[in-house]
Amino acid sequence: MQIIKIIAASLMMLVPFVNSYASNLKDSLSIGLNTYSDNADVQVYSPTFSVMKTLSKNLLVGFKMRVDAITAASIQNGGRPRVSDTVIGASAKSGFDDVRYAPTFLLAYEEGDNAASGGVYYSKEVDYEGKAMFLNYVRQLNSQNTAIGIGLSQSYDTWNPAILRELPKDYRNESKVDFSINQLISPTFSMQLVYSYMYSEGFLSSPYHYVIQDSFAKFENYPDKRTGHAFAIKGVTLVNDLNSMNYSYRYYTDDWDISSHTASVEWLKDFSDKFTSGLRLRYYTQTGSNFAKDVGAYAVTDQYFAADYRMSAFDSYDIGIPLTYKPSMTSDLKYSLSVDYYQTSDNAYIKSWYDTNYLQAVYTTFRIDYEF
Amino acid sequence: MYYIAFIIALLLLSGCTDKLVRVMPYEKEHFADPKMSLSPLEERAEHEGHIFLIRESSAGGDSSFQGGCGCR
Repeated sequence: MQIIKIIAASLMMLVPFVNSYASNLKDSLSIGLNTYSDNADVQVYSPTFSVMKTLSKNLLVGFKMRVDAITAASIQNGGRPRVSDTVIGASAKSGFDDVRYAPTFLLAYEEGDNAASGGVYYSKEVDYEGKAMFLNYVRQLNSQNTAIGIGLSQSYDTWNPAILRELPKDYRNESKVDFSINQLISPTFSMQLVYSYMYSEGFLSSPYHYVIQDSFAKFENYPDKRTGHAFAIKGVTLVNDLNSMNYSYRYYTDDWDISSHTASVEWLKDFSDKFTSGLRLRYYTQTGSNFAKDVGAYAVTDQYFAADYRMSAFDSYDIGIPLTYKPSMTSDLKYSLSVDYYQTSDNAYIKSWYDTNYLQAVYTTFRIDYEF
Repeated sequence: MYYIAFIIALLLLSGCTDKLVRVMPYEKEHFADPKMSLSPLEERAEHEGHIFLIRESSAGGDSSFQGGCGCR
């Protein structure tokens, strides 16, 4: 009911006074390749493809496809790359363990100061099926100095574990509502505020993770409902004609008593008319959930068990280098590349499950955009 | 209670005041520059959004959609 009240109140404020202006919708085609690799023996190669086609000056249809080719310990060996898995008894193998297909269809409409979009998403992998729909509406105000937006998404996902296990619930449903306000502060400075409300229910832990102690072994068990709130403030400043600074801060809190702070800053510089690059730094810190105990401290009579380090307190940081290349000012082509290094702090849960003190990962993105 | 404060903020900003017209149309050229975007690399934003959902326990604050997967 809370979600419905929020949506109703917001939509009442957003009742548009439609003007007739040309829209910004454009035909475009993109192809890309993303990668991810970490010291928990997870490698992912993700080709991406998207095409956007205008049907009129106000209406656009789009199709996006992402394929994740995954080599993952969680599929090979219950998520423990260096530890024999007594529950699953599987052994590591070479080659991809799973391929996830994730198509998205979307529709966008723009007229005057109003923009609306919506779509459906589907994903299929060996042990999980995801279905979702999303809607977004943005209204420009104050001579297009202010933009307020609302985004809604609802997913209906289904677990199908790769091991012989009957889950207490085989679904995970998630609702998300985002409110955003963008405001131009000066000709070289803009800001954004975002509030997100998130609600999840169903089987919210992993079907593979388990707690093993001297006298017992128990699969992970989390509460079957979770409500979260996130508040973010973002800004971008043009320092001079060649340099910009982008910064953001997010506070997150939920009813599992996990709270987090995320801060990010990115510097971008035009090194020539064609090349833009820079440096991005991100820091993240979170508290543990109210049901996670110290490793080895669980009792067989406990209601909840956690083996996943994400239920415990830890920090992480990320250092990244972005690069864009546009062959000329008038070119319809644009190339984007990024490389990031990610590392968590030392964590007893990570040590227990992955047999390493911390996780470290490298991820990259590459995309070619063509407007026609 | 969180959303009440946000809705009040929305009301205050929903076209009630000229004070929020801070940049004239002829002063907006810099906002067409890709490096002035709040999310300058769209592909990276989508990819890392997925990675942070898998590797961390927080979500939201990004007004974008991330589909579910079995890796989190």
